[in-house]
Amino acid sequence: MLQEYIPVLLQILIAGGFAAAALILSVIFGKSAARNPTKDSAYECGMLPVGPGQARFSVKFYLVAMLFVIFDIEVVFLYPWAVTFNELAAGAVEKGQNFFSESYAFFWGMTGFLGILFIAYLYALKKGALRWN
Amino acid sequence: MPAYYLEVIVVVLGLTLLLVEAFVPLGDRRSLAWLAALGIGVVLCLSFLVSTPEQAEETGRFSALYATDGLALFYKRIALLTTLLVLLMSADYRKILHQYTDPERPQSQAGLGEFFTLPVFACAGLMWMASATDLISIFVSLEAVTMTFYVLVAFMRRNVGSLEAGVKYLILGALSTGFLVYGITWLYGITGQTELSAISEVLKEGAVSKTAALFAFALILVALGFKVGAVPFQFWIPDVYQGAPTPITAFLSVGSKAAGFVVLLRVSEPFIASELISSNVITILTVVAGATLVYGNLAAIPQNNFKRLLAFSSISHAGFLLMALASTPAGGAISQFSISPVSAISFYLAAYLFMTLLAFLVMTLVRTQRGGESIDSFRGLAKTSPFLALTLLIAMMSLAGVPLTAGFIGKFYVFLLAVNQHHYWLVALGVVGAAAGFYYYLKVVRAMYWEAPEDTSAPAIEVSMPTKIALILLIVAVFIFGLDPAPLML
Repeated sequence: MLQEYIPVLLQILIAGGFAAAALILSVIFGKSAARNPTKDSAYECGMLPVGPGQARFSVKFYLVAMLFVIFDIEVVFLYPWAVTFNELAAGAVEKGQNFFSESYAFFWGMTGFLGILFIAYLYALKKGALRWN
Repeated sequence: MPAYYLEVIVVVLGLTLLLVEAFVPLGDRRSLAWLAALGIGVVLCLSFLVSTPEQAEETGRFSALYATDGLALFYKRIALLTTLLVLLMSADYRKILHQYTDPERPQSQAGLGEFFTLPVFACAGLMWMASATDLISIFVSLEAVTMTFYVLVAFMRRNVGSLEAGVKYLILGALSTGFLVYGITWLYGITGQTELSAISEVLKEGAVSKTAALFAFALILVALGFKVGAVPFQFWIPDVYQGAPTPITAFLSVGSKAAGFVVLLRVSEPFIASELISSNVITILTVVAGATLVYGNLAAIPQNNFKRLLAFSSISHAGFLLMALASTPAGGAISQFSISPVSAISFYLAAYLFMTLLAFLVMTLVRTQRGGESIDSFRGLAKTSPFLALTLLIAMMSLAGVPLTAGFIGKFYVFLLAVNQHHYWLVALGVVGAAAGFYYYLKVVRAMYWEAPEDTSAPAIEVSMPTKIALILLIVAVFIFGLDPAPLML
């Protein structure tokens, strides 16, 4: 069973070997010339960096990002649910049970999920998460 | 009434509180905490009306994911009671919270609403954990609880300690989640099932690789070891417990631990029942229990901060609980002089709830009105506030395991189990640990009763009416179940 993985092992060995060989060969054959600031600067590789590397972002970006993720997840759940809805509904109708019974769990589950999201959305709206001054 | 109505009601309660917080102009946000506590109290009463599985014969996919047995109901009540008391504590703690969230605006109460609402959602997660019997369901409920705790632990965002605790909890929580998922993957890989009852059958047949099964168990044990605070996965506990807001520390140390143990009980059951790996699993559990007992008790001795002391005490109690789990008889045969490890662990956790929350309630009051959490802040408490000193004395006695308290009975059952299973090394370590416990728990008592107060003119600590009632009820519980444990036995 493990023999199937030999190509993967070979791949790892070749990748690792190539990286190691490149480093070792450059140490052996490369000229260890004296370094100076001009030589170390970014040459033909874009502009010289100006200012600190870590800029501060407004926390509002994070709020928007979080809201985006929440509604993204909503779509992730809704889409497959919508695709299989007809099938699920037909199955539930066939059983002929009460609308509040377990065979309609597919409907009530999604209703509950959307309800929770809606209330969370109301809360975010009221708290000013979408206000941008 | 089916048992899952309880979770639904708790979630609806949480959502209602969110809407009230956002749309109703409240003069004092503390009323939100009372409202939440009231709602949780009602659900606690409703939990006694839940129909037992014999009455409601349920079939279908859902009941395979969700247990409605007595064990689940017992831990649901533990979660509800913990949340109720945590909410009371939060109401007392709001001044400190405000000091570290919005110090520029002394009149503003912004942000307090979330602090009173999030525990309700955590409670729903803890209740679900008590019922989860499918690996996926266990994973989702565990994450629902942990996510809420990430926010709550780091809630005091202007306090470096709270932020440090939040980051540590987040990183180690994510790590333990990784272990859990990996363990679940392995278990699914060898058995092809995610339901615990189905896994149990496959493991009993014994047609699986022993190494793979043990590896899966070890991974899941690591993840749950993080949750319950077992050595060597305990290193986050002292820092997170010390940095988090005090009510949340209490919530973590009681609610999260109890739910972690019920999941551990359910998950380890198929492994212990399987003849193939039973003895290895018991050995692993024994080693972890022994290490937890030694570390928790010995590291607690030099502590000067009371909150940190309780963190180490929480580790040592995890040691006693694991000792009971490690004393599960291999075939499930229980001799007539013994009780089942499940009831011993459940009773211990209930007793642990009473005594730990008693200690945390008093500590919250001392923290908000004396301004410190070190043992020195408790000096001379017997002179200024005799009732609180007496309360803390009872909590400490019970934690140390003095007879006539619930803590003693809990320890007694654990030792009884270990002796019946001939785990004499564990018993020896447990005795050493319990003896060390007497030293470090009574350090606080010495400070309260035999040392002069730091500031003799300090006024007596005010205790609000709900808190006073809660304290008295908890003291009564510690003594009643210390005399007659039968009502709490599963």
